[in-house]
Amino acid sequence: MSQPEKNRRNDDAVLYIRGETWLHKSHPFNKLIYVLLTGVVAYLGPETMLLEGCCIALNFALAVQAGIFRAAWGLFWRTMLPLALFMTAIHGIFYPDNLTVLFSLFGQYYYLEGFVYAGNILLQLGALLTASALLVFLTNPADLISAMTQAGCPPSLAYLTGSPLQLLSVMRARIQTIQAAQRARGLESEGNLVVRFRALFPLVVPLVLGSLIEIEQRSIALEIRGFNSPGPKTSWRIIEDTARQRALRLLMLCVIFLLVILRIFS
Amino acid sequence: MAQQNTVKFTFSTMTLALIAMAIVLNIAIGQLVALLKLPIFLDSIGTVLVGILAGPLAGGLTGLLTNLIWGMVSSPVAAAFSPVAMVIGIAAGLCAKYGLFKTWWLAVLSGVIITFFNAVVAVPIRLYMFGGITGSGADFMTAYMLALGKDLFGSVVVTVFTSNLLDKVVTALLAWAVVKGLPSRTLHRFSREKRVAT
Repeated sequence: MSQPEKNRRNDDAVLYIRGETWLHKSHPFNKLIYVLLTGVVAYLGPETMLLEGCCIALNFALAVQAGIFRAAWGLFWRTMLPLALFMTAIHGIFYPDNLTVLFSLFGQYYYLEGFVYAGNILLQLGALLTASALLVFLTNPADLISAMTQAGCPPSLAYLTGSPLQLLSVMRARIQTIQAAQRARGLESEGNLVVRFRALFPLVVPLVLGSLIEIEQRSIALEIRGFNSPGPKTSWRIIEDTARQRALRLLMLCVIFLLVILRIFS
Repeated sequence: MAQQNTVKFTFSTMTLALIAMAIVLNIAIGQLVALLKLPIFLDSIGTVLVGILAGPLAGGLTGLLTNLIWGMVSSPVAAAFSPVAMVIGIAAGLCAKYGLFKTWWLAVLSGVIITFFNAVVAVPIRLYMFGGITGSGADFMTAYMLALGKDLFGSVVVTVFTSNLLDKVVTALLAWAVVKGLPSRTLHRFSREKRVAT
């Protein structure tokens, strides 16, 4: 595989969508703290479904502004639909505090309390999910990692978060190679449960063993390139952080702090 | 222990490279198993391996980062369960510390212990954040327990424990098999290899 082709595939491995809007350009920490804020508002804030509904609407409005509405909507729909189906069915029927019968379908009673509970949880999750979508679709993981390093996190942490993203496509290719090799030796990886379970060891063990043996070479390669050198580490990427961004971040942190305090004392 | 108490990022380059590789293994094998349509996840085999080979702290870090990165590359829901993955790594590291990865039947016991710690952290997240339902096949178990008249907490506990027991035991067994299969030249480059050697 040629080098440029590899790079392109790495880009596909993350959810990030390139763009130039103000939301793309805002500091990664701001988006991270926004997710935290939404989570605190949804789970610890005042208990009204309206608030969470507003959060979801706001997040989608922001997604439209950033031009990622389709992606955000797709993620929302894919994650929330199975949850919603299971949640309303199971809690509608079995929620332990169910009292008021809402309707019956095929001889099965559905209750109001369960639906209210399910709706509440779904809205909370929806708010958090849409906020996370803003983070993952609008933040290049490399920027987030650089921002962490600039804020004083050890550079080794940057290695730990950055290198897996690049290794992932290599690993997927290796899995396919092992699968093909073991099939050529007569391994059945389709069939009933026992057959598929037995296929597990010959697929997983060579992959893991090979990867572990490779680690020695990787660590030597890293050390040769000054991975352990004690001097300051420099970065090619500089993440812009304006005074306004910092103020916004501080404001969000204050609101989070306030909501948590309010929750504790009420 | 003394070396571990100096904490935070004093990991050797070998350990750091191991953690990075283990994170990728977690994600890649998790996806492979989903492809084989097995009733297990196997997305913590790398975490358990790091716990065995490099200690609880490194294991916990592997788990935490795995789920955070997973959240970044495919589904943010995975990030919500990152504390669970962290505890798996810590538990595996502690099990190895007390010699519970020396034979295959001890590895099975480790799997059960990991399942227990897994449940302690996973139940509150599943219960308070997701209302007990995560939109997966395990929900049928929760529904069944609720139908039997159990309360939501009890149902979620039973679901988390049963749906993870097989997974964690198979994970521990595979990790044991891998460590046994490592050439000693590689094995002895890791910091805690003495705990697994019989």
